[in-house]
Amino acid sequence: MREFQIYRWDPDSQGKPSYASYNVDVNSCGPMMLDVLFKIKDEQDHTLAFRRSCREGICGSCAMNIDGTNGLACLTKVDRDPSKKSKIAPLPHMFVVKDLVVDMSNFYAQYKSIRPYLQSKTPADATKEGGEYLQSREDRTKLDGLYECILCACCSTSCPSYWWNEDKYLGPAVLLAAYRWIIDSRDQFTAERLAQLDDAYKLYRCHTIMNCAKVCPKGLNPGKAIAKIKQSVHLSHAV
Amino acid sequence: MRLTAGSNCLQALGVQSAGLVRGFAEQGTFLDKKDVTDRVLSVVKNFDKVDPSKVTPTSHFQNDLGLDSLDTVEVVMAFEEEFAVEIPDSEADRILSTSDAIDYLASHPMAK
Amino acid sequence: MPVGRTPRVSGLQRQVLHFYRNVIRTAREARPAESQQILQFARAEFERYREVDRKNYQLIEHLLRKGTKQLNLLQSTEVIGVQLHRAAAS
Repeated sequence: MREFQIYRWDPDSQGKPSYASYNVDVNSCGPMMLDVLFKIKDEQDHTLAFRRSCREGICGSCAMNIDGTNGLACLTKVDRDPSKKSKIAPLPHMFVVKDLVVDMSNFYAQYKSIRPYLQSKTPADATKEGGEYLQSREDRTKLDGLYECILCACCSTSCPSYWWNEDKYLGPAVLLAAYRWIIDSRDQFTAERLAQLDDAYKLYRCHTIMNCAKVCPKGLNPGKAIAKIKQSVHLSHAV
Repeated sequence: MRLTAGSNCLQALGVQSAGLVRGFAEQGTFLDKKDVTDRVLSVVKNFDKVDPSKVTPTSHFQNDLGLDSLDTVEVVMAFEEEFAVEIPDSEADRILSTSDAIDYLASHPMAK
Repeated sequence: MPVGRTPRVSGLQRQVLHFYRNVIRTAREARPAESQQILQFARAEFERYREVDRKNYQLIEHLLRKGTKQLNLLQSTEVIGVQLHRAAAS
């Protein structure tokens, strides 16, 4: 048996948030933290609320703070040592909807604001035969390390700059996504994208703390992408 | 610009002409205070949570008429409809009695 | 109600009242039948939490955010109204 402390808050109960303690036999349970959560929900407390979907690290739903570090519950292995206990909390500095479920509205609105889709000034059918936007192998390679982002918000909610200015600073996840479109050879709104980001808060609240790269469950490096945006903005001024 | 009578026409002219209308109104089409008082009292008396016999020109919505803060919001919104004005939040917060409402609406140049 | 003038209204209470005013304004834009339903629904939601302690900021702010979200949804063009359903008497 091993102890798990889980943050609980139900707005409808009108009570205060607290940590509830659950003892789980980790040897009769799957290896991941998500398996533990399911075991608790199935066998001990049906009222526990958490988001999950794919259980294999591709949907980004089960992002939470596990033993002080943001991560996906489905990719975080549980230490079987019974003398240890785990503390599970919602993503830090996010508004809680219930238990481990947080309000992602602001995060999604910020993602929408960077127009995360291909923007073109020439119609597709006018570019090449077949109406596709073609790209060289080299140009495609530039998207590696960017397109894999699943928008779980682990990085943004681990960033102290984002904690203090989540209303104005876009945060690592959204900036990484922004850079993904900036360096896409098929996108023709690069200048406009850079101009939109050239803002003391939106972009320049990044102080290279690099928690983002440390917690990313997909092993991406948003801090590096942000540095590259800063570089591109700088170069665009030089012209 | 030619101004023809009729409120539809004035509305259609939009923001710019609102200034003009206000200009005319400020030169003396404030509503008669007696008339405002009667209409304010009748709005309050018609509010279903109010005992009409208790309503006077100085009734405090919460202390005298037993309304709560949400009811007060509803009553003030009812004044908006009756007098065809929009009362901004900052002003609405200060209307706490029938006399507040009468003073505000009698000095409002757009009240109809 | 205590004697004298109305008790001082806190910033959060003012926000809640302004929110209620926005709800009523939104209801006015709707067609008459829907308008009534929106008002009923809103008032019932407020009444549900009447007894919340005024110092329970976390819950009040949560409800304000929830309400604002619902209001935004109601203001979008695809949505025409909201209705209160009472469970049949048991």
